[in-house]
Amino acid sequence: MGRMDTNDHAAIRAVLSGDRDAYAALVGRHSRSVFRVAFRITGNESDAEEVVQDAFLRGYRKLESFESRASFGTWIYRIAVRCALDKVSRRVNQSTQTSITGDTDAETIQVPDCAPNPEQVLLGGEIGAFRESAMHSLTPLERTAFTLRHMEDCSMEEIAGALEIAPNAAKQAVYRAVQKLRQRLALLKVKT
Amino acid sequence: MNHLSEEQLIDLYYSEDGPESARHLDTCAECARAYDSLQADLGDMRSLQVPPRSEAYGQQVWASIADRLPSYTPAKRHWFYRPLWLGLTTAAACALLAAAFYAGRLWERQPQRLPALASAPAPPAPPRVVVVVLSDHLERSERFLVQLKHASADDDQLALPLRDEARSLLDANRKCQREAEASGDPALTKALDRLNDLLTQLADHPGGLNADALAKLQQELNTDGLLFEVRVLRSRIPDRQASVHHRITGGIA
Repeated sequence: MGRMDTNDHAAIRAVLSGDRDAYAALVGRHSRSVFRVAFRITGNESDAEEVVQDAFLRGYRKLESFESRASFGTWIYRIAVRCALDKVSRRVNQSTQTSITGDTDAETIQVPDCAPNPEQVLLGGEIGAFRESAMHSLTPLERTAFTLRHMEDCSMEEIAGALEIAPNAAKQAVYRAVQKLRQRLALLKVKT
Repeated sequence: MNHLSEEQLIDLYYSEDGPESARHLDTCAECARAYDSLQADLGDMRSLQVPPRSEAYGQQVWASIADRLPSYTPAKRHWFYRPLWLGLTTAAACALLAAAFYAGRLWERQPQRLPALASAPAPPAPPRVVVVVLSDHLERSERFLVQLKHASADDDQLALPLRDEARSLLDANRKCQREAEASGDPALTKALDRLNDLLTQLADHPGGLNADALAKLQQELNTDGLLFEVRVLRSRIPDRQASVHHRITGGIA
């Protein structure tokens, strides 16, 4: 067990003994890594900020279920992944409802209204805009699985554990994500 | 070999496919081009920059959530984190493990030990118990008392045999006395006690047995009355014999 884990477990014991402020040490140690994965999944800074807060709030409430053998960093990371997935899912649902009520043809697009449109991408000419447009073509599960595999270098088993799905389902989600991203990128490159 | 599928190329990119796919790229230009294209697309996706966060970011997050966190009460403290419980459960687990290990070793040895015990020589028998059957003793005592009663004061030839017989009966009588005391039969106990006094006097009479001594003992110890008691006891002997025999063979020395 590493020194950080030892310190984390001491802080957890203090929190469970009634010292609420001891949780500040855990937040301080892990908030940046939680923000990183939250931002990569949501693709949005303000959403990532909310995910960080939700993750630490949820972690605090579930702290009694934390097993002392585990790493708090890994544990809160998984919680953050699920919070981010929930956030993206809610965003997509809201976007779909907005699109359906506002424009019946928009149902075929299935992208959030916050995503940049192709014109913005072309005008901006930035690779980040290409990437974001492509990422918004993914379902929340595909986006999260791809982010964890491609950007966070998580193994398929870790992805499956974080998303609470079977390893093969996680692998299929990554396959679909890569295929969709490539199709989207190819389309955008042709237009440029 | 057929061309690699896109899924195989993706696995190769994430190092989740075997070396066979990698070797295929060296010999198949079409698959190599497909893999290069995949690498380029996925390489573009890696360039996402995460907005930096300062060292104070954790404090900012804490400040934003602290007011929404209720304190845990010590009563709700998780049992697993209690050092006492942790120590006790660890010690109990170790003890159980040790006990299970020891029991397992004993269990393994048991089948080997049993044949060894069966083939081992029988333990030495306890010293053979001289089983005195009460009826025999009473019968001998009766004959002895009759002999004593008819002993002539002038017959010195009887003195030595009587003394020897008295000594012989004395040992047997003491064994019967112990048995009678254990059985809780007051009549038998009393008769054997009187018989013991008589036999003791006869066995070790100071100055040796002579006619005067015999006469005196017969009078003082009422040997006629003792003879009567012995005969009465002998008449009850069938029931008593079984009981005494059973008890004596049960361990009376």
